[in-house]
Formats: sequence, C-alpha cells, structure tokens
Amino acid sequence: MEKHLLVMNSVTRVARRAQASVILAFALFFAFPVITMVVKFARVSELIHSITDQSLRDVWWFTFWQAIVSTVLAVLVALPFTWAISRHTIRFSRAMTGFITVPFLMPAVVVATGIKAILPNAAVPGILWAHVVFNVAVVVRMVSPQWMLLDRAIENTAADLGAGRIRTFFYVVLPHIRTSLRSAITVVFLFCFTSFAIVTILGGISHRTIESEIFTQAVRLGNTRTATSLAVLQAAVVLIVIRFSRASPLKLDDPSQTIQAYSEPPTRLRGVILLSLAAPLFIVLTPFVAVIIRSFTLKGRFTISGYRWLFDGSTESVGVNISHTLTTSFMFATLCAVLATTAALIISMARNRTSFIPVLTALPLTISAVTLGLGLIVTFNTWPFNWRSQWWLIPVIHSVIALPLSLRTLQPAIEAIPTDLYDASASLGASPWRTWARIELPLIRPALMRAAGFAAAVSLGEFGATSFLSRSNSMTIPIAIGQLLSHPGEMPNQSAFALATLVTIVIALAPQVRRRHR
Amino acid sequence: MKKILALLIAGSALASCAIQSESSNDIPKEITLIAYDAFTPEKGVFDDFTTQYGPKVNVVTAGDTGAMVSKAILTAGNPEGDVIFGIDNTFISRAVSGKVLDEYQAVDEGDVCVNFDKSWFASRNIAVPTTFEDFVKPQYKGLLSVEDPVNSAPGFAFLLASIHHFGEDRWQTYWKQLKANSVRVSADWTSAYTADFSGSTGKGKYPLVVSYGSSPPAEVMFAEIPLTDAPTGVITSTCFHSVEYVGMLRGTKHQKMARALVEYLLAKKFQESMPTTLFVYPVNKAAVLPEVFTKYAVRPTTTETFDAATIEKNRDGWIDAWRNIFL
Repeated sequence: MEKHLLVMNSVTRVARRAQASVILAFALFFAFPVITMVVKFARVSELIHSITDQSLRDVWWFTFWQAIVSTVLAVLVALPFTWAISRHTIRFSRAMTGFITVPFLMPAVVVATGIKAILPNAAVPGILWAHVVFNVAVVVRMVSPQWMLLDRAIENTAADLGAGRIRTFFYVVLPHIRTSLRSAITVVFLFCFTSFAIVTILGGISHRTIESEIFTQAVRLGNTRTATSLAVLQAAVVLIVIRFSRASPLKLDDPSQTIQAYSEPPTRLRGVILLSLAAPLFIVLTPFVAVIIRSFTLKGRFTISGYRWLFDGSTESVGVNISHTLTTSFMFATLCAVLATTAALIISMARNRTSFIPVLTALPLTISAVTLGLGLIVTFNTWPFNWRSQWWLIPVIHSVIALPLSLRTLQPAIEAIPTDLYDASASLGASPWRTWARIELPLIRPALMRAAGFAAAVSLGEFGATSFLSRSNSMTIPIAIGQLLSHPGEMPNQSAFALATLVTIVIALAPQVRRRHR
Repeated sequence: MKKILALLIAGSALASCAIQSESSNDIPKEITLIAYDAFTPEKGVFDDFTTQYGPKVNVVTAGDTGAMVSKAILTAGNPEGDVIFGIDNTFISRAVSGKVLDEYQAVDEGDVCVNFDKSWFASRNIAVPTTFEDFVKPQYKGLLSVEDPVNSAPGFAFLLASIHHFGEDRWQTYWKQLKANSVRVSADWTSAYTADFSGSTGKGKYPLVVSYGSSPPAEVMFAEIPLTDAPTGVITSTCFHSVEYVGMLRGTKHQKMARALVEYLLAKKFQESMPTTLFVYPVNKAAVLPEVFTKYAVRPTTTETFDAATIEKNRDGWIDAWRNIFL
C-alpha cells in the first residue's frame, strides 16, 4: 500500500496543483454569486416565515412527497432494466441503453409537452411520470457498471447453498451494488426535489415545489427576500441528504472475475428479460413518440409543414434562427463536456483523502437554479467581473452545474481500479505518468465518455440558471422551443414540435453512430 | 492558479480599456436595447438608425416581461443595457419604484381579450358570449380557459379587467362563480392557447380562451394553409387595455444615443413594423396599419383598465385574494 502511494505521487502532485485552480474557478463562478445573493437578501425573519407560513408549508410537503415517490418509481422502473443489461449478453443492449438515456438528454420542455399531449389534465401523475422518464437513465447508467462487475460465481454459490432469487438479490446483489445505487438514489431524489421546468409546465397552479416557488417569489412577485430564504432552506435540506447518503468506499473487485459476469440468458428467463427491457422503454419513450406523432399531424391530417417552416427560415419571423440555435447549443454542449470532464478528471486524480472537495463540488445540486441565475446577474456586473453579457459565461455555468454529475460518474471508476495494477506496472519499471497513460486512462475511458455525455446533456437541457442571463444571439434549443410554443398561430407551434422531434432523433442516434465508427 | 490569475488581470485590463475608450468617445460603437423574449423585430429595422447615428443596435432579450423587470430592478443603476423595451402598464410602477428608469414613454398598445373559436359556436348553433356575465351562465359551463394571474401576463390582465368591471366588492364573488362554472386555469399562455383552446393548433375542449386582441391576425399570418378569414374572434367587452413603454435605463453611459434610440422606436418606420412582428398597435398616430390588422383584428371601443399606480398598490392583495379562491 505504501509503495502504491509512493508511485502515484508525481501524478497526484500535479493533479492536486491543477485542482487548486479548478476549485478557484468553481468558487468564482458558483460560490461568489450565491454568497452575494444570500448576503444581500437572506434575513432571519424571512427564514422563519418560510417555515411557518401555511401556504409555503404546503409547498414543502408537496416538494418532499413528490420527490420521494418519483425516486421510488424511477428506481422500480430502472432496476429490472439494469439487471437485464448488466447480467446478460443481449443483442442490441447498447442500443437499448442508448434509447433509455435519450430522455435524460432532452430539454424538460419537450418531455413536458409530450406528457401533456397524453395526459392533458393530470398534473401529479404527469409530474411523476416526467421525473421517471428523466431519471431512469441515471439509475441505469450509474448502477449497471457496478452490477456488471459482480462475479456470477458468487451468485451461483448462493444458489447452490439454497438461496432463492429474491434472497440472493437482497443478500448478494444488493450489498454489491449498494454504493452506486445509493449515489443514484441521491442524485435522482435531488433532481426531483429541485425540479423546476417540469413542475412549472405540468404542475398548473396548485402543484408547486420549493424551486418553482422561489421563481414565483423572486420573478413574479418581486419578493427576492422570501425567495432567497427559501433557497437557503432548500440548500440546507439538500446538504443534509448528501451528508447522510455519502457512499462508503468502494470494495475493489478483482478484474479477472468480471469475465464471468455476463451469461447467455437461459431460455426460461427470456420472457422475464424481454419484459424487463420492454416495460421501462415503453414508459420512458412514450412521451417522445407523442411528440413525434404530433410533429407530423395537424388537425388530424398528416403534414410536414412544421419541418418546412423550420428549414425555410420562416421561424425567424418569430425570433428563432434555427441554424444559429443548433450551432450555439452544440458548441455550448461541447465546451461544457470538455470543461466539466477535465475538472472532474483532475479532482479524481488528486485522490483527495477527505470528503471536503467532493461535498464542495456537489453544491451546485443543492442551490436553486433561480438563486444562482439571479446571483450571476447581480455579481458579474461590475469591473473586474463584468461578464454577465459574455457568451462564454453560459457554457462555464453549464460546466459548474454539470460538475457534480461528471465527478460522480468518473470517481468510482478511478477508485475501482485495483491497486495491484499500479503495483505491477511500477514493479515492471513504468513511471507514474506512463502508468497513468497506459493503464489508468484506457481503463477509465468508458467512464470519461459517460461523464462527458452527462455534461453535454446538462448543457443541452439546462433551462434554469442560465435562462436568467440575458441573451444576445445565444439562444439554446430549450429556449427556442419555448419561444416557438409561446407564439400564437399554427405554424410556430407546429415547428416547435418539429424541432423537438429533430433533437430527439439526433440525440437517439448520435451514440449509435459513434459506436459504428469505432 | 497563476494562469488563471494572469487571465483575470489580462481580462480586467482589457475591460478597463474598453470602458475608457467608450467614455472618451462621444459615439459608442454599439447601443444595447433590452427587450422581452417575444421581441422579434423585422430584420434590418435598425439599419437606418446605424446609418443615421453610428452605433449598431444590439438587441438583448431578458426573458418574459416579469423576468425582465425583476432583473432590471436587481441591476438598477448598473443596467445591462441602455434602453429597455416593453415594460407594460402592469409592471411600470414596480420598475419606477425600483428606480430602474431615467425617463420613459408609451411605445405601443394592445388588448388582452377573451378569444373564441368561431366554428365551435357556429357548428353547434350556440350564441357567442358577449360579456363577463355570460361566462358564469350554465350554457357556457366549462368552456373558458384562463391563465394563472401570478405567472402569466395575460392572466393577470384578465383578472384586472374583471376587477375593474365588477369593482372591489364584487369581483371575488364573480371568480367564485367562474370556478363553480368550471373555468379552466392553466399555468401559462402556451398551455391555455395551444393546448386547452379548440380554435388554434391544439385539439382542446375549450372554445373560449384569454389571449390577445391581435391573436386572430396571427392565426391568419401563421396558418399552414392560407386563410381568407380568421378562425377565431375577440369578445370586445372583455378587453383589458395594455400599454407598453420604452425607457432609458438609469446608469446608461450613452444618454444621448439612448434618447436617439427611443426617438427612433417612436418614429413612423419602426412603429409601422410593429403590428406584424410584435402584434401590438403603434402609438404614433402617423403610422399606417397593415391590411391583416385592419381586416382581422378588432379594437374594442371601450376597455377595462387601471392606472399603473393602482395596479402596483393592489397587486399583492388582489393576487392573494385570487389564490385563496383557487388554491
């Protein structure tokens, strides 16, 4: 063990030094604006009011229970799917994982519109459904890598010793996937707890979360103080959740065991596997099918006029320049993927011994997007920080928001690399940097891609903090769809659905194409 | 760390250069116009301004009107731009008390009215309602969709129109009756107009919706198949008169150019471009209306409206009272 720490030193040292600048940038673009807001507007009397006020208490109650129910539902839908793809060799399993991830990459406004087309009047079922649609991918993507590593021999031994499937799941599988499942549950809960766009669009007037209430108070009613106090309380709750859910260190697996993890599905299980895959896909993809069908129909007839309108430049008359919007969105997504993944890689490589930095970088999950958004406007408005109207501020803020997710994707992968490998490499005479480039990097490449994918997704769908920044020629896809939907007339509406469909198709196909090129 | 520091210093040095060059030069390279998201001016409409005065006009959108005003208040005195377009009479008092503006004046006007689906009423041989009172009658039960006045500007305008019409002592009773007559309250205009309403793209169940007086011409202009008549109409006795303002932001470094831009926005050329791009009416009497407006838009002869100060003074109380009826 000592030897291992010794050989890692020169890599770790450089990473720690780089980490300092990452933390500095993080403090500047996240902590600074949030603290400015809190100092300017939070008051103790308002904090008390935010807890005691009856109507706000109802909001707290709804926020909690919808987040808990959404999380439970998302896990219940996701686990069978994760089991099927992690434990069996199935044709098209990568494609199916790709499809189930599509919603996570989609702007909330698209999901909400699709669900509204199916359930026009059911606010609460709509919200829960939308949360499931978004978060199934989180569970699948976070839990499946660890589940894949479970040695089949252990399960077989359990079976040989007479344990049934359920017993095996609770006593063998669950302890094995516990850390990643716990992280996934935490992330899903926090996403649902701080849900904004979904609740605003589907919740109607009577279903409000703290996050949507912060928006209403700050932007609609002009009560910045109440809003900031609510944001402080919300952050406190989220911090407590993170604190209590902190994953215990991963037990490292011997990689030689993983070879036996997959198996051809036994015939008697075929039906169960098929159902485990089909049901979640159906639940998750139906809203998008609704959007796609809607984009080709107008008043009960088939039409492609929405697409024609998009491509002949007509949307410019309602303020949407499609090619510009697409270029901007994809440029921001690329920048965000690069920035957030690099930062996450640096932090993971620094191998921090305390949990201080992971907790610190989890903070963007805790702070309301509205608070951060307003904070950006009041903070970055004076020399030498006069950046609020700079285009690059948008991808930088996207990266800050994406960092917790990228880090949580990357760090377990790095920690899961068996120390034996480093030792072996070192004893064969490889320098720490060579070991890093030849052993560590190839091993974490899938996790790196996943982290970059998540970051790009956050950027593509972000409809919170940066939507408060004023824009000059930097419209992103969700904002463009929102703009088209909020204009009277058939064609702007029709082209909003066409744009949503295009985004769905591009996002669904992109990973498949990349795979083929490999 | 050092690199970031160096970048910071370089960045701030550049910023200070920019500030100096702007203040030493009378005519800035660019002048910034803050507007709401739906500000979609005609392409090239500011070219004449640049030719005449020099600066390019940089349009910056800041969200919907409410978000734009909230942000302007948070940045009052150190504004994001030089001129602000589109604060309406429901928000102007808040902006004024937030010390956002140096000076302001009306730039356009329009109406928020109940729209109806012509074919829905025609095919059922039901008379189109004509007054506020009609909406609570049993034959119009479950036909009207309105927006949440907290989140939606037209929703708030309709609430104001009803308060003005019924007076402080009777409006709450009216809304209770509306509720009993199954009025639909949607979160925002998009849900109400494009999903609930039967007369536009949605296949909604509600043939009556709170929208704009200029929505019928928009239906004609943006129809898939060219129309000879608007599919929707306006119930003129339900209209709330809305006025939008243009103002010079307090703290602008380019007062002279800001005034010039305000003048430009009030002049005939820009005013005539507004109806078909922003779906509002010009305030400049010399501006000529386009045919699609004279033909399909209806202007009410009388409207329900309050002065801006009354709205600001009562806003919270009215909204609370309304929320108590519906939440």
